[in-house]
Amino acid sequence: MTDTTDFEAKRDIADIAVERYKQGRLTRRGFIAAMGALGILPALGSKVSAQANEIVVVNWGGTAKDVLEEVLAETYTAETGVPVVIDGSGPSAGKIRAMVESGAVVWDLCDSGAGSAIILEQQGITQPIDYSIVDKSKVLEGTAYNNGVGNYIYSYVLATNPKMLGGNVPQNWADVWNTKDFPGMRTFRKSVRGMLESATMAQGIAPEEVYSVLNTEDGIAAAIAKFRELRENIIVWGSGSDSQNLFLQEEVAIGNIWSTRAHLLKDQMDEGSFQVSFNGGVMAPGIWVVPKDNPAGTEEVMKFIAHAQKPELQVKWLELLGSGPINPAAAPMVPEELARWNPTSPENLATQILYNDEWYAKHQVAAEEMYVDALIN
Amino acid sequence: MGRLNEKVSYWMLVAPALTIMIVFYILPVLGIWEIAFTEPTTGVDNFVKMAESSAVKTSFVLTFRVAAITTLGCLLLGYIVAYSISNFANKFTPLMLALVILPFWVSVLIRSFSWIVLLGRSGLVNDTLRDTGIIDSPLRLMHNEFGVLIAMIHVMLPFAILPMMTNMRGISDAYVKAARGLGASEWTAFWNVYFPQTIPGVMSGALLVFVLSLGFYVTPALLGGGRVLMISEYITYQIQEFLNWGLGSALSVGLLVATALVLLIASRFINLRSALLERK
Repeated sequence: MTDTTDFEAKRDIADIAVERYKQGRLTRRGFIAAMGALGILPALGSKVSAQANEIVVVNWGGTAKDVLEEVLAETYTAETGVPVVIDGSGPSAGKIRAMVESGAVVWDLCDSGAGSAIILEQQGITQPIDYSIVDKSKVLEGTAYNNGVGNYIYSYVLATNPKMLGGNVPQNWADVWNTKDFPGMRTFRKSVRGMLESATMAQGIAPEEVYSVLNTEDGIAAAIAKFRELRENIIVWGSGSDSQNLFLQEEVAIGNIWSTRAHLLKDQMDEGSFQVSFNGGVMAPGIWVVPKDNPAGTEEVMKFIAHAQKPELQVKWLELLGSGPINPAAAPMVPEELARWNPTSPENLATQILYNDEWYAKHQVAAEEMYVDALIN
Repeated sequence: MGRLNEKVSYWMLVAPALTIMIVFYILPVLGIWEIAFTEPTTGVDNFVKMAESSAVKTSFVLTFRVAAITTLGCLLLGYIVAYSISNFANKFTPLMLALVILPFWVSVLIRSFSWIVLLGRSGLVNDTLRDTGIIDSPLRLMHNEFGVLIAMIHVMLPFAILPMMTNMRGISDAYVKAARGLGASEWTAFWNVYFPQTIPGVMSGALLVFVLSLGFYVTPALLGGGRVLMISEYITYQIQEFLNWGLGSALSVGLLVATALVLLIASRFINLRSALLERK
């Protein structure tokens, strides 16, 4: 299909915006907004010159945007005087790529995922992390890539409602599949992400073996078969808020949900009617990536990442959002009542595995199809 | 003034609606067909994949089953309502009419969420049954096909009632009176004299509900618990989750063709023109 969008007209409006921006009559934020509204960030020529008087950090919006603003941006500005702007418009790999390829980079730092970080690195879209400024030892092992570095952690965890289960709570994934001793409905994600791992562990396979088993066709088939076996007891969650609702309305007593949602549920549910176990959890890291030719310059952004590594800030982040500190040194500073909800406390780290993006790159599409089939057919 | 003038004014009247249909419906649909045959590769790959996937087959069967049961349910309940409103005129008739039309003013989303409040594990229905001691543990009323059917029949009911009612209001009561006068029992008079006259209304109600149900999305997505995966939700899943526009488009083409086939088969047994256009 041919694209009939009038790029000429759009480029013209964009040029006007660029002029304004250069004249200082349009703030950078306004400029980004204008470009976004036109939907033509990629259509832009390389006319925006780098002026490192602020850092634009992009994440996925919502409460996370406000928290990032409060915890990281304001503290950095207070320390260095460099203003930090948080943009919540969602830095998908596609958008970052379009921006870099068009030569009109307006983002300095993006909250991405490991999968995107790997692809963007291969395509040469992102910059290497300068590990002389960013401290490699201050992130969880396995989350420091050449062109991306760990930012926070969220986990797929075993959540339960002890009240509904009469105090008899599943301790591991094998228990979750035991409907005789633990009756009632369970919830799993409407995608294989973080789910096949639990079905594999339910077969008695050790956590560290999970991905090597799943790397075989038999391993995937066995995990899918586990879901076929359990499906009469499964309600599927699509969005994080779905999973939260299912627990709140007591539709399910057991589930494999995100630790960040669990963090909200622990405050919303009655005392003694909600708990999580990180036993057999799957940790997924958020990854910082820096687009090539970012306007604030490499050094400034690296300094900001280093700032974000400070354990006390990461603890605050955990308190407000529930995402776990990527810096293991933060664990001792976590208030006692929060420690067991922290995905990266030493006790919880010991029982979890790290989400394997390479496996997903290879097998996800085929596995998803089989998963849907197992649930409905 | 000749026929030509008449023709011109005819086209002038039709043109705005026709233009809107072509620009905003026919062209996009053609675009979908094109994607189905060209992404990611040109050819019928997407359709082969579709035919081979047992998840797609299950989803198609499920979609048609849910639509068929919804249609039956709507006809049964709707016929009773339409019959009562048309044949027992009293001071409540306007109120009853209003109650039929009222749900149209509330979004499908809200109505589906209301069913969640009613049918949930600790919803109104289960709580009431438990409090009165009829059941010990909550019934599973939603997050399954049953819940989807209840809500869909509710949402679709007005689409069944309105055509049947229009039809029934046009039926003169002289026929039934004559039959009764000639000695037919109340049932015979209804079944042999009244009912056959309502067939066009029933058919247009049935077609309307069935075709709308085939493409239904919101209600099954909310009340199905992810396991009542109707084809429209499957399409969304392909496009949003996997950016698989090719297969997603192929699925919509499949649904469109299947729906057309149903209409074609239906037209062999009932006169579509009289069922849909002439409600007498």
